[in-house]
Amino acid sequence: MTSQQYSPVLSVEGLTKDYPGVRAVDDVSFSIENSTIHCLIGENGAGKSTLIKMLTGALQPTSGTMKVNGSVYEPNNPHEAREYGIATLFQELHVVDELTVLENLTLGMEQSRFGFLIKSDLDDRVIQTLASIEPSIDPSARVSSLSVAQKQIIEIARAASSGANVIIMDEPTAALSEREVDRLFGVIRRLQETKDTVVYISHKLDEILQLGDVVTVLRDGKHIATKLLSQVAGRSELIEMMIGRNVFQDYTPRTTVTDESVLTVSGLSSKLLKDVSFHINKGEIVGFYGLVGAGKTEIARALFGADKVSGSILFKGQEVGHSPRQAIAAGIALVPEERRTQGLFTNLTIRENIPVMNLHRLSDKGIFRSSDAEAAAIDYVDKLSIATDSIEKHTEKLSGGNQQKVVLAKCLFSQAELLLLDEPTRGVDVGAKTEIYDIIRNLADEGNSVAIFSTELEEVLGICDRIFLLYSGSLESEVINGPDVDATQILNVVTGGHEGVVQ
Amino acid sequence: MSTPTQANRALSRSHRMSDQTCINLLVASVAVLLFLVASLLVPNFFQWLNLLNLITNNWAVISLGVGVTFLLVSGNFDLSVGGIVALSGVLAVWFAQSTGGANELASGFGLPYWLAMLCALAGALTIGGLNALFVVRFRIPSIIVTLGTMMLARGIAQVVTQGSQRNTNLPADFGLLGNMTLFGTSVKLPVVLMAILLVIAVFIERKMVFGRLTYWIGANPVAARLSGIDKDRHVTYLYLFSACVAGIVGILLSSEFKSGYSNRGMLMEFDALVIALLGGVAIAGGFGSVVGMFFGALILAVVTSAATGLILSPDWQFILKAIAVFLAIMTQTWALARRNR
Repeated sequence: MTSQQYSPVLSVEGLTKDYPGVRAVDDVSFSIENSTIHCLIGENGAGKSTLIKMLTGALQPTSGTMKVNGSVYEPNNPHEAREYGIATLFQELHVVDELTVLENLTLGMEQSRFGFLIKSDLDDRVIQTLASIEPSIDPSARVSSLSVAQKQIIEIARAASSGANVIIMDEPTAALSEREVDRLFGVIRRLQETKDTVVYISHKLDEILQLGDVVTVLRDGKHIATKLLSQVAGRSELIEMMIGRNVFQDYTPRTTVTDESVLTVSGLSSKLLKDVSFHINKGEIVGFYGLVGAGKTEIARALFGADKVSGSILFKGQEVGHSPRQAIAAGIALVPEERRTQGLFTNLTIRENIPVMNLHRLSDKGIFRSSDAEAAAIDYVDKLSIATDSIEKHTEKLSGGNQQKVVLAKCLFSQAELLLLDEPTRGVDVGAKTEIYDIIRNLADEGNSVAIFSTELEEVLGICDRIFLLYSGSLESEVINGPDVDATQILNVVTGGHEGVVQ
Repeated sequence: MSTPTQANRALSRSHRMSDQTCINLLVASVAVLLFLVASLLVPNFFQWLNLLNLITNNWAVISLGVGVTFLLVSGNFDLSVGGIVALSGVLAVWFAQSTGGANELASGFGLPYWLAMLCALAGALTIGGLNALFVVRFRIPSIIVTLGTMMLARGIAQVVTQGSQRNTNLPADFGLLGNMTLFGTSVKLPVVLMAILLVIAVFIERKMVFGRLTYWIGANPVAARLSGIDKDRHVTYLYLFSACVAGIVGILLSSEFKSGYSNRGMLMEFDALVIALLGGVAIAGGFGSVVGMFFGALILAVVTSAATGLILSPDWQFILKAIAVFLAIMTQTWALARRNR
C-alpha cells in the first residue's frame, strides 16, 4: 500500500521540446500522484499547451521521458494515450449533437449481432458511471438539448467509463457560467473520490485555489515549482511564481498623446460584454488586456461594426458600428485576429491585397487605376519592409510576420485614423515583432490612434500608453503605463481578483 | 547602395506573367491545337467560315457563360439561366400574341412588341432577384437555390405553353430581331450582341472596380467583408446581371424561331458551366476570366462538332463533354500547382 502511494500515476523527466529557434519546453520534471487534482499554471507562452500536447501524444518530445505508473510511456497519437488511460477534455467539444446521451457515451463501443445493435451490459455500466458523477443528466436525452457544461460532463463521463484514470482538462471553464463551474467542480471532486486523477489547466487562479491539491508552475518553458496548494500563500504567491521577474519593460512615455478624444464608447453590451465604456484619445496607443475569452475580440469587432452589439460608439462625433464598410469610410480599420482566414486574400498577390480597403483612392467613376495600385503596393512593401522579391508573390507563401505586415499595409492604405489591432503579433517572429511595434509607434506619433487587443502582457506593457484590463466581458480597470506599473496587480485583475488597481 | 527607385523597379520588373494570363494562354492554345488536329482529320474543317460558325452557333451559351463566369468567380453558382431562357422566350411570345386567338395557346395579351419584351425581361429579373434573395438574405447555398429557380422558371414556361409551344398570332415583326443580319454579311444581330457583351464584360472584369470586387469576394468572403466590401449587394447585382443576359438570350431565341417553347435552353445552364470550367474558372471562386470562358466554349465546340461530324455519332457528345471537363480541371490544377510550387 505504502509503496503504491509513492508510485506516481504520471511523471515526466527532463522533458524538452524544441521548435525551430525556440525551446518551448525546457527540461521539465515533475510527477502527478494518483487521485489528486493537479493544476498546471503559467502565462501565455509558458509551455503549458506544448506540455499537454506531448502528454496526449499530439506532439513528440525532443528529449526526456514520460512514465505512466512507473513504466515508459511514448504515445504517438491521442488514441494511444487513451490506451494508457490518459484522456483529454479539449476546449472544443467532441460530442454528436444528434445522438442521445447514452449513444454518445457508447459511441465506438457498440455491440452488434448480425449488423444490428443490441443492448448490452455496457449500457448499464455507462449509465452507472454517469449517474455517479452527475445524476441530473437523463441518459436518453438528446445531446443537442444540453448546455455546454452538460456536454463537457458527457465527455468526462465518456472518458471515465472508457477506463481512463487520468483526465486532462484544458481551460474547461472558459465558456461556463458561475453556477455551471460549481457543478463541474462537483463532478471533478467525485472523479477524485473514484480514484481518478485530474490534470487541471486554467488561468483563473481562484479556481485553482478552490479546487486543486497540487500546483505546478511553468514559466518560459521551465519548471518553476510543484507545490501542495495547502502550502501556497494565496494568489499573490502563484502570480509571483508565474511572473518571477519584473516584466521586461521598454516603454518610454510618448509625447504626442493628446487629450482630444476621438472615440467615445459607452454601455457596450452583448452576450459576453457587460456595459463596457471607455474613450481613446488622438495620438494614443491603448491596450486591451485580458485572458482568452475575456471579450477583447468582441470589443474590436463591435467598434468595427462587424458584430451587432448594443451601446453607443462615437467616432469623431459620428455614430459608427453598423458595418465594416461604414467604419472604414469613417476612418477606422481592423487587423483581425485570424490573419489567414479574416485578414488576407491568401491566394491573391501582395499587389492585389493592399488596395482593397480604399478603392476610392484608386478609381475614377468605377474605373480601377491598376498602375496606381501597383505603385501603392511597391510603396508599402518598401515602407513596411515586407520581405519579398516581387509584389506579384502570393501572400500565402509569405512568412507569418510578412503576412501580418501585408494586412497592416491594407489598413494603412485605407488612411484610417484609428487602427484596431487584434493580436497583432501572434505567430510572428521576434524580428518582425519589433518592426511591427515601430510601425505602430510611428503611426501614433503621426497623430493617429491605435488600439491593441492582446493576451500578451509584455506586448501591452511594451507599447501602450494606457491599458484597459478585461475579465469575463467587463472592463475591470484602467492602468496608465509608466515605470512603476505593477504587473502583479495587472495579472491579479485579469485572472479574476477583484481588488482593482489603484492608479 | 541601391536607391529606392532601383529597388522598386526590381519589385515590379520581375513581372512574371500572372496566373490568369498563363491559364488563358493555355486554354487558347489548347483550343487552337484542337482546331488544327480536327482540321487534319476532318475534310473541309480548316476554313475561316467554319471557325466563325463554331462561334456563331454557340452565341447563346457563350452569352450565358458571361454571367455564369462572373458568379463563379464570386463563389456562386447559377444553374437557373437555362430555365430563364425558356421563361423569357415564352413570356415574350405570350405578351405579344394578340388577344382572341382560335384557342388558348393562340391568344395572348396583345401588347406592343417592345412592351412584351420588357415584360419578359422583368420576368427574367424576377428569377434573378429570387436567386439573390435566397442566396444573400437567407444564406442558402447557391447551388440549391438556383437548382430550384431553374425548375421554377421552366415550370412557369411549361404552364404558360401547356407543355407545348406558342407560335401563332404573333405580330409581323416578331421574328425581326433574331434573324436580322448586319453589315451585309450573314452575321446575325444576336452574334453581334454577344461580341459586344464579351467586350463589355472583359472591360468590367479587367478595368473596373466592380470586376476587382468580384475576385476579392470569391477569394475570401470573410476578409472581403472585413475590408469594407458590401458582398451582399455585389452578389445581388451579379445575379440580376446574369438573369438579364439570360432573359435577353431567351427573347432573341424566341424571335429567331418565332415561337415560345418551354424546352428551349434545356441543359444550357450546364453547357455554360462546362465552358466556364473548360476556360479555367475555379469552381471554388476567386479565379477565372471571361476570355478563358470564351476559349473554353471554342474547345467544346471544336471537340463536339469535329467528332460528331466525322468519327462518332452525335450520341457521343455527352461523353466527349465529360472527358473534356475532366481533362480541363486536371490540367488547370496541375498547371497552377506547378507554377506555384
